[in-house]
Amino acid sequence: MARTARLSSRTDVVIFGVCVLLSLFAMVLPDRLREPVASGLRRVLVAPLLQLQMGSERWRAAYLSSERAELARDTLALAAARVPTLEHENERLRKLLGLGSELKWGFIPAAALQGRGRAEDFTVTLSAGSNAGVRERSLVVAPEGVVGLVQTVDPTMSLAILFAHPDFRVSAMSADGSAFGIVQPHVTSSGSSRDQTYLRSERYLLEMRGVPFRATLKPGAVVYSSGLGGIYPKGIPVGVVLGEVRTTEAWARTYLLRPAVNPAELSAVMILTPQRGAAGLTNIWAGVGPVDSATRSIVLAGDSLARQSAAAEAAARRAALDSAARLQRDSLGRDSTGVDSGAARRAPAPSTPLPPPSAAVDPLAAARVRARRDSVAAKARRDSAQRARAEVIGAQVPGAPVPTPQPATRPPENRR
Amino acid sequence: MNWGASIRTILLCAILILLHYTLRPLLAWRASADFLIIALLLASVRVRPGIAALFGFVLGLASDSVALGAFGAGALAMTLIGFSWSRLKAVFFADHVLLNGFFLFLGKWAYEIVMNLVERRLHGAELAMQILVWSSLSAAVTAVAGVLALMVLRPVLETRAA
Repeated sequence: MARTARLSSRTDVVIFGVCVLLSLFAMVLPDRLREPVASGLRRVLVAPLLQLQMGSERWRAAYLSSERAELARDTLALAAARVPTLEHENERLRKLLGLGSELKWGFIPAAALQGRGRAEDFTVTLSAGSNAGVRERSLVVAPEGVVGLVQTVDPTMSLAILFAHPDFRVSAMSADGSAFGIVQPHVTSSGSSRDQTYLRSERYLLEMRGVPFRATLKPGAVVYSSGLGGIYPKGIPVGVVLGEVRTTEAWARTYLLRPAVNPAELSAVMILTPQRGAAGLTNIWAGVGPVDSATRSIVLAGDSLARQSAAAEAAARRAALDSAARLQRDSLGRDSTGVDSGAARRAPAPSTPLPPPSAAVDPLAAARVRARRDSVAAKARRDSAQRARAEVIGAQVPGAPVPTPQPATRPPENRR
Repeated sequence: MNWGASIRTILLCAILILLHYTLRPLLAWRASADFLIIALLLASVRVRPGIAALFGFVLGLASDSVALGAFGAGALAMTLIGFSWSRLKAVFFADHVLLNGFFLFLGKWAYEIVMNLVERRLHGAELAMQILVWSSLSAAVTAVAGVLALMVLRPVLETRAA
């Protein structure tokens, strides 16, 4: 028993020693001997396992690729979600550029930062201050019309009240100057909570008070500043008439106005210097729309010109290809008539004049030319066939009269 | 070792070798678990030292066949580990999860040290960094994977009383 154990232990040691020696031998094997051994092992033992490994790596690659695709899709979705905002911003900035080009001088562009606090509902912080030339009571406008008035000026920023501020007043008139009044925020007091909710939704509306009773304004009429108050120059859009408000005042009318500027969309404004205001702003806002539309039309015209030139180029290319194809078809038709092409080449030019180059483009003229050419070729074919038949008959019966050549009979047409 | 135990050991090794070539590439960790070492260690404690050395030699040579730069190094390392662990089976048989994990860690770490020394690819600080950081990390992951495999495959490994 003990002997058997010793023997097996010795066998284990021997196997271990052999394995170690073989390993060391494998390590010092030269490359030309190592490669066949490794290759044999790869083919016999490792190949199926490597197939499995390849499958796993393919799975992993597919997973990573799907993850990348998902990321790309998310990025695209985010970008797509930003597009409307960017378009809107682009639109506003273009309008502001239009206003700037109409004003020409005496304005300071600024970003409007709207506060979100309860006390900041009717004020707006502007990113330009006294360093940029802003003064107190400077007028703040947007491409759509009146925004408010600067109240406090710091070196790098300023605060302005919006048209919805309770202190806001502007002398206004209708576009034709038939109705004048004072525009102020639409503020009413009511006790019930339902009315309060209704009023909250109307807190940015304006009302035009003191309009003479004989003057009526229709809904949709635009109201401009009249320049009578001394602060706001004449001709700036203030709002659009929504309807008349019934009041207890029997000698004057009051109209509800929708402000020309939507405060929620206020992001960039122009601050007018007092000198610019004093110089007058008449017809400035009438030109903002046309300038914007002119910019658009220039862009569109450029696009349409490019489209037209591309279409003309494509048409010219198509016409050249068509004429080349027709010429090739005609020459093939001439060859297929059986006329010796070499003789045809040697023969003088046909009496039929070649069509002018413009005929290659005109389909009717081209068809006429083709028909004429086909009839000439058919006549030549008939003549040569008759001549050949006469020669054959003359050779068979010497002295026999040469029969008059008859026109070849046509096979009946198969109408089906 | 009877036939049933032999078949179970072969089955266990086959499963672990399959995992080595399927799960490891799927995870693709920087310090990944070495299922070949787990298979070798779990088989070594169930067979004679000579057989364990032979198994280690074949396993190492097969894995070396796709890494020609160190042909024979893996065979040498696995032969040494297989024989040593088969000799230490009395210790390893202690049925304690932490002890098993510790020995798996030790086995993988020893394998990494032998491979790094025999390959002679890294030197100095780089070699020390490899052995102390990456090899230790890989050994730890291997130990955790081995313990999990032992717990999952325990029903297969346990010998039923006749």
